[in-house]
Amino acid sequence: MSVRLVVRTLSELCITVGALIILFVVYFLFWTGVKAADAAEGEIDTLRSQWAREPVAAAPPPPSPSASDSASAEPSAPAPEPSPYRDGKPFATMHIPRFGSGWEWPVLENTEVRTLQKGLGHYSGTARPGGTGNFAVAGHRRTYGDPFKDFPKLRPGDAVVVNDGTTWFTYRIVKEPHRTVPTDTAVVDPVPRGSGFEGVGRYLTLTTCEPEWGSSHRLIAWAHLDATRPVSEGKPPELAG
Amino acid sequence: MYGWIWRHLPGNAWVRSIIALVLLLAVVYALFQYVFPWAEPLLPFGDVTVDGASAGGAGVGQ
Repeated sequence: MSVRLVVRTLSELCITVGALIILFVVYFLFWTGVKAADAAEGEIDTLRSQWAREPVAAAPPPPSPSASDSASAEPSAPAPEPSPYRDGKPFATMHIPRFGSGWEWPVLENTEVRTLQKGLGHYSGTARPGGTGNFAVAGHRRTYGDPFKDFPKLRPGDAVVVNDGTTWFTYRIVKEPHRTVPTDTAVVDPVPRGSGFEGVGRYLTLTTCEPEWGSSHRLIAWAHLDATRPVSEGKPPELAG
Repeated sequence: MYGWIWRHLPGNAWVRSIIALVLLLAVVYALFQYVFPWAEPLLPFGDVTVDGASAGGAGVGQ
């Protein structure tokens, strides 16, 4: 009798654990994507309404496009230091045509777990979009909407377009994704190591995990600023059509 | 375990079924809302940053 009870309890436990595991997989593969899509959309909406509401706050930065107009000879663009980005808040949108024409994700300040669940994360302390130095951004490759799922497909010349509410910044990927170890923080340095860049410039670094479902390595992509365009002039040609 | 719960639910078979269903949904909700979000960063899939100390979670980048 008691043997029967033990066996029954054991089988019930096994079934429960199995159900738990299946539920977790559903959560992990499916539900995080639903949550992230929802959150990212919310962040982009926040950003858009913020940009629509505060054209005044958007006014000061115009020195930067004018500075870039006068060829990259004048590196004093970020001189009128704008207010710092707020932790965990969105401040720009990113578009990568290589990942699909509708690929649009918000870029949020800092790279904490909770931030990366809502969009891409900007490494605090690295440059701003279009700024001198390295604008470094991290994103999930899998789960939470898979923003960087197609990361290995990036090729030299691919556009990475960033909109900070006043300006479209078009960066160009310079080489195929680079594989490195998680401790290699030099890849987000102002002049990233391994990128082939020499000297100070306006760079962009994207990081994600490698392998796709693992965490033993990181994939890195570098780009340099190619063009800027005031938002008032409409989308850059890379995003048209 | 499940037999024990079933025996302790009130009402007839229909009422018990409904209560069991509600209980099940409550458990699934709690898992998705609280347990899984807590457990998920303990797995390594979220590590997408270069940060020097990569143990657990995405960590804070430089």
